Amino acid sequence: METPEQTVMERLEHGSAPPPDAEVPAAHTFEVKNVSIWYGEKLAIDNVTLDVAANAVTAIIGPSGCGKSTFLRALNRMHELTPKTRMEGTVLLNGEDLYSSTVDPAIVRRRVGMVFQKSNPFPTMTIGENVVIGLRLNGVRNQRFLNERLEKSLRMAALWDEVKDDLHKPGTSLSGGQQQRLCIARALAVEPEVILMDEPCSALDPIATAKIEELIYQLKARYTIVTVTHNMQQAGRVSDYTAFFYLGRLIEYGPTTKIFTNPGEKQTEDYITGRFG
Amino acid sequence: MVVPKHILGTFDDALTSLRKDLLMMAGLAERSLDRAIKGLLQRDDDLCTHAIADDEEIDQLEKQIDKDGFEILLRYQPVASDLRRVISAIKLSPNIERVGDQATNIAKRARKLNRHPPLPEVQMIVPIQAHAMSMFKDSINAFARENVELAHSVCSRDKQLDDMNRDANRKLTELMMEDREQLRGYFNLILISRALERVGDHATNIAEDAVYAAAAEDIRHKSLAASV
Repeated sequence: METPEQTVMERLEHGSAPPPDAEVPAAHTFEVKNVSIWYGEKLAIDNVTLDVAANAVTAIIGPSGCGKSTFLRALNRMHELTPKTRMEGTVLLNGEDLYSSTVDPAIVRRRVGMVFQKSNPFPTMTIGENVVIGLRLNGVRNQRFLNERLEKSLRMAALWDEVKDDLHKPGTSLSGGQQQRLCIARALAVEPEVILMDEPCSALDPIATAKIEELIYQLKARYTIVTVTHNMQQAGRVSDYTAFFYLGRLIEYGPTTKIFTNPGEKQTEDYITGRFG
Repeated sequence: MVVPKHILGTFDDALTSLRKDLLMMAGLAERSLDRAIKGLLQRDDDLCTHAIADDEEIDQLEKQIDKDGFEILLRYQPVASDLRRVISAIKLSPNIERVGDQATNIAKRARKLNRHPPLPEVQMIVPIQAHAMSMFKDSINAFARENVELAHSVCSRDKQLDDMNRDANRKLTELMMEDREQLRGYFNLILISRALERVGDHATNIAEDAVYAAAAEDIRHKSLAASV
């Protein structure tokens, strides 16, 4: 017969993992060291050093213009698409320097997928084509492989059951929440190591938001996720670690439970409690 | 330190109202306890009746604080120090309510004692009451002023109150055996002493929550040596 302790242990194993209590993550996907980024003369990121935990969700919070999205984009060199951008410092992805002269930015963006604030399925493509476009652009032609990857990606994005009979319909025929999950499926199809999300739920209703949040929770077993959000409650719900940025500087970084119950910095406290003047 | 106001003024109003109700409740419990003890020492049944009457208002405030606290959690989803203050307020109020219950118990026992000739042993209650009352007042002050040091000092004084209660119990039990005529009176004094000892326990709980509210540190169930 099971002891009460065994029963509880079994429940815990099938339930959610306890929140991390380590101040610093054990394993890192990204090691960001002394990164500064300028747009022309404007300093957007000011000497940020941060290790992003592997297989965990890291939320980046902060007021508008604090550098959250710039920092996120620096993790897959997306910020380089903005003219007159300059960067100093290093970003290591699983130990490899993403900004080395030998590294192709297109490869970086395949390894580090991104989901944007506004869902952006390709308007002229079907649902199915939207998911596998990344693979096609990378030269994959095997239809069986593409079909398998299509189903796998849509299943991982918790969309398969809703669209399996409508794969030929335009991606834009889906609801806002479904379109966002389609974009997540598109990011997953190329099997990235990391998924970056830039306010993925800001345009969605509460039900669609809950589905994306549940998806984030499911995906972190396989992927490292970094998400930018303006929604404090969402950061509290989905993330394991939280980083607070202000005026381009990293003010505080630690376990989400600690940040939201007892932040170490007054600026963090003032921001998350709504006292920012 | 001046705590800046929230951008959302209604959030500030709700937190201020919660705090005001909590301090009002604590003030009523303190007054009720004071009246009950004065009713005992001065053999004044009116004071005892007032002490008992206060309890209804204390009970109502407990419900009001629960309601307001839940509403703040629901409407504003507080975090950090705001969250700790709201959670602590919700946890504090049952302890204050029980201090009010102890005051009522003492007042009821005092009225029974007042029906009989005075017992000189009533004076044994004076130091116990003074110790319990100072613990309760300091626990509330520690919460209101976020004074962690004062809260720790309340916790460390509980053992002394336990010892005082035990000494009084021992002496009164001996007297019960020596003087069967006064058995009922001594028994009531034992129960009054025990009620004051319970006030100290509630003050300790309040002080522990005050430390959590101020410093996010959970000092419950630690040995005295570890917590001080």
